[in-house]
Amino acid sequence: MTIRRFVVALVGMSVFLGGGPPAPSAQEMTERFIPVGQSPGLSGKYTVIGKLQSVNAREQICSVASAAGTVNVRITERTKIWLDRSLLRQPNVQGAIADLKPGLTVEVKPEGHQSGAPSGPAEWIKVQVAASP
Amino acid sequence: MRSRELVSIARVVLCAVVVLSGCKTASPPADRLSQLIAKGRDLFFNETFAGNGRTCGTCHPAENNFTIDPAFIATLPKDNPLFVAEFNPDLKENFENPALMREFGLILENLDGFDDLKNKFVMRGVPHTLGLRTSVQSPGGPRTGWSGDGAPGDGSLRSFATGAVIQHFTKTLNRIPGVDFRLPTGEELDALEAFQLSLGRQQDLALPLRLKGTVPKRGQEIFLDNKLGKCNICHVNAGATANFPGRGSLGNANFNTGVEDLPDQPARLTGKRVPPDDGFRSPGDGTFNIPPLVEAADTGPFFHNNAIETIEGAVGFYDGEAFNNSPAGQALAKIDPKGKGIELDGTQIVAIAAFLRVINVLENIRQSIELLETSRAVSSTERQGLLARAARETDDSIRVLRGGGLHAEAVAHLREARRLEDKAVRSLFFGRRYAQEAIREQKKARAFLVE
Repeated sequence: MTIRRFVVALVGMSVFLGGGPPAPSAQEMTERFIPVGQSPGLSGKYTVIGKLQSVNAREQICSVASAAGTVNVRITERTKIWLDRSLLRQPNVQGAIADLKPGLTVEVKPEGHQSGAPSGPAEWIKVQVAASP
Repeated sequence: MRSRELVSIARVVLCAVVVLSGCKTASPPADRLSQLIAKGRDLFFNETFAGNGRTCGTCHPAENNFTIDPAFIATLPKDNPLFVAEFNPDLKENFENPALMREFGLILENLDGFDDLKNKFVMRGVPHTLGLRTSVQSPGGPRTGWSGDGAPGDGSLRSFATGAVIQHFTKTLNRIPGVDFRLPTGEELDALEAFQLSLGRQQDLALPLRLKGTVPKRGQEIFLDNKLGKCNICHVNAGATANFPGRGSLGNANFNTGVEDLPDQPARLTGKRVPPDDGFRSPGDGTFNIPPLVEAADTGPFFHNNAIETIEGAVGFYDGEAFNNSPAGQALAKIDPKGKGIELDGTQIVAIAAFLRVINVLENIRQSIELLETSRAVSSTERQGLLARAARETDDSIRVLRGGGLHAEAVAHLREARRLEDKAVRSLFFGRRYAQEAIREQKKARAFLVE
């Protein structure tokens, strides 16, 4: 009982005192409905928008050619992949690494605010699903 | 014939007086910020973003302190867009819970994802949007909404409206931008942010105040006592920032205070499905964001789930097991010389609540006076709206003091102020004079509360 109280207090203190790096406070759930390039305060500032150049599914790395150059992006178990189907006037849905195909337009949000960090892990990747020509 | 001429002349004179009166007091040219705020106000109350008919003001109405509660909801017509789930077949299922909305003022949110709408949702009250300039910033970034993560994008107050449109304004549960709603533009987000930041207090109080009432004065002492009430640790100056002893300011921090562990939560007593709310992030860490307390007494029910109706009950929560067994309660116990969290008796709980009631009324009086003063300097059309808002603040002041059995003399002056505000609204020629007299009564009332 005493140990349990100690553990609870320890966890409480860490939450209470805000130990560790600052946690991102953006709401992830509605983010998925926002089309590529329209995320408020992020798009163009802290995200990379460009064409997928290559995807290495085994290494979980992809490269994105943006206006600022080529950026390597690491896909982790935390990375959310969303298919932006707003151009098709269909609901956006969750995607997978298999949906990342060279040539597609993507928007990548690096973890934290490390825009453009080489091989940086991605917090989320939006894949624009274009209407058929 | 002669009398008809006299009537005509009187009409012309009357019109001239009204026109000249309007010219003399026309608003000065607005600067850029006031233009932005005005645009934001218009968007906040009128823009539906091509959605289901709701506006920001649907859940944050100015006439109810920018929040909704069951009493206010009961006054709305059944075709009000707040009730869109009751009359729009596309939103009938899994968009709101009308019964919980009407009985407890709860709104449905899919904060843990939209993949299982039937089972994954939380039911939350509507926080007011007053004093936001003082209550959003933290070292970890901006904190918005009940759990601090209410906004998509960069998580800022500016981005908040984008998430709100997606969650609450949609025409169907597909939530397709350009079909079910349109997203706010950058300029619209700027204006909405400017408007919201303009609401209510622009700075924190500097406690202690020199209060006059015996019980509120004692309540303030307990509030500020880090060994007794301990309130000021997480609500510095009765605001929304924390200052843990020896650690400095934590800004607008998040805590797990155990509200979710309260027994007999009203919404759950109904037997309706109310899933646990895990707070900040997804999956959540159980923490929720500190709300400011100055605005609390007239914006209940309290906590993210509207679990407690009265300000006395909300203070009493911190004396209970749910709080004292929570991580936040345990953290307070850890730094207490006797290892206690918060232990208060009934009189002390009521005293803290009395203090919170008085600082709420002081803020209401400040706003009433500001509105009345502004009303004296604008055209008659603008004046009506300002006077009506001042009257609502006065109503709140009376209700909050009477609800705590506090400061009967101040209540008498507030009643007189209210009568004069009514007269100012109705009077064609003497509105400014009545507004001035109402200001005097407000100041007299304030003098009973604080030196």
